[in-house]
Amino acid sequence: MPTVRLRDAAEYPAAAQKLFELSRAWFNYDFAEPPAMSRVMAWDPEFGGPHGRAMKRAMGPGEFTRGEKEMVATVVSGVNTCEY
Amino acid sequence: MTGDAIWYEAAQVVGITNALNVAGDGLGALGAVDEASAPPETRALLAEIRSFYGGGDGPPGFRLIAHDPAYAADVWAAARRAYGDNRLARHFKEALAFAVSVTTRSASGASFHLSEMRRLGVGPRGVMEIVGVTQMFSSYTKIADTLQLEPDMGDIAPLDPTPAPGGPAG
Repeated sequence: MPTVRLRDAAEYPAAAQKLFELSRAWFNYDFAEPPAMSRVMAWDPEFGGPHGRAMKRAMGPGEFTRGEKEMVATVVSGVNTCEY
Repeated sequence: MTGDAIWYEAAQVVGITNALNVAGDGLGALGAVDEASAPPETRALLAEIRSFYGGGDGPPGFRLIAHDPAYAADVWAAARRAYGDNRLARHFKEALAFAVSVTTRSASGASFHLSEMRRLGVGPRGVMEIVGVTQMFSSYTKIADTLQLEPDMGDIAPLDPTPAPGGPAG
């Protein structure tokens, strides 16, 4: 059970709704609610904003494809024993 | 990047990389095999490893486990299978091994697999891409763990209905 109460998207200010739209586009998936991590990152835009930009910069296509980078991310998460 | 086969390959890379890093970082007290005085099977094994790695010594762990050449040969056979070109390209497998090594704080593994990435043609931008993904997901994972977030994105990936290699089609 999460340490915090994860707020529904509707409980966030209008500025966060834009972040949730970006999240939906990033995953190309229509979530019933934005993923928990997206809602966590929207809690404090001054942290979540630059953190998200760094993630997108790292994950964007370059020498490696987005798909390859998703696999690297999965491997790093697995090695960190993170179930999320 | 669909289907289970590539994930089995990735898992092999993760596993064998960790196994070799454990040896490379933890078995220094054994001392590396002295190739000049080693038995022929050990020299042949080390020569095969050098050939695979373009003349380099290969992962440092091999010279530490080569005191038992039969054991080392089996580990090498698995490693060669894991790191070789297959559905995933060899340079990408080295990127995975680098990410694993950085994440597990294996200095010898990070150094070796960084060198292999470069040798196989990954440029400075590609290296920093893997550094970025590794670092950012080392952040996301710890945020998720701290807040004990529960997985909620499992439905994104479709299930692969194909049988195991050689198995009967369902």
